[in-house]
Amino acid sequence: MIVGEQKPLEEIWEMIKGHKKVLVFGCNTCVAVCQQGGNKEAEILASMLRMKATQEGADIEITNSGIERQCEHEFFEKSEDEVQGAEAVLSTACGIGVQFMAEKYAKPIYPGLNTTFLGAVEKFGLYTERCQACGQCILGQTAGICPIARCAKRVLNGPCGGSTKGKCEISKDVDCAWQLIVDRLNLLGRMDDYEKLTPIKDWSTDRAGGPRKLVREDLLDE
Amino acid sequence: MNAKKRVGHLKTLLPQVGIAPERIEMFNLSAAMGPRWAEICMEFTEKIRQIGPSPIWFALQARKE
Repeated sequence: MIVGEQKPLEEIWEMIKGHKKVLVFGCNTCVAVCQQGGNKEAEILASMLRMKATQEGADIEITNSGIERQCEHEFFEKSEDEVQGAEAVLSTACGIGVQFMAEKYAKPIYPGLNTTFLGAVEKFGLYTERCQACGQCILGQTAGICPIARCAKRVLNGPCGGSTKGKCEISKDVDCAWQLIVDRLNLLGRMDDYEKLTPIKDWSTDRAGGPRKLVREDLLDE
Repeated sequence: MNAKKRVGHLKTLLPQVGIAPERIEMFNLSAAMGPRWAEICMEFTEKIRQIGPSPIWFALQARKE
């Protein structure tokens, strides 16, 4: 899922303070799981902004609402009137939702979150990065552990010389991805795979190739 | 205890809007602890009285004037 982190209130306030009617709009899927941008968090943020507006003596009407996903057209139908009625929207979706709304509506759409990474819920309250959407998955060769997302250097034939006692040189709290890979290859009885050199990666499938697109011709409307 | 965690989180949110985190506290009591509940209410009321009105109250008063 996409993980985000709410922006500092002051930064949000600077974006919206010039408007008269602002809708704080939640996205109740990925960013709700990490408790940052769901409809409940949008409600809390709206409440805080109303308190801020009162103290600043600013005459802003701040309401809140939300939908299940801000990255698909059909989910917007039920909230169309609320969005149309607002002068500006503070979206608590990820960067995808904010941009999708900006394309749909001719009004300011502001980001309430910093979109941080694609991650997993290790446990309630702990979200960790697992994927960088590089466009060419090599998890089959690396025993299900991604050196692109989890190695600071994105080394494809590791570990590097900065690996000590299973930890990365950037922090003693960060596991060395290649140590994890070796341990798991060992566990799976696949240490022979460790001897195979991974060739230079084709980064054109990553962001280096520009914005990416997936087309399923069979699903597209004519 | 989820409520305790949420109150803890709220204590980090309130200062962002200028409200002292001491204005909210969590007390865990059983239904049979009426006298202790009354005592806590008295103490907490006195504590809030000492802290004084919130900045929001002052802002609302200023708006009325």
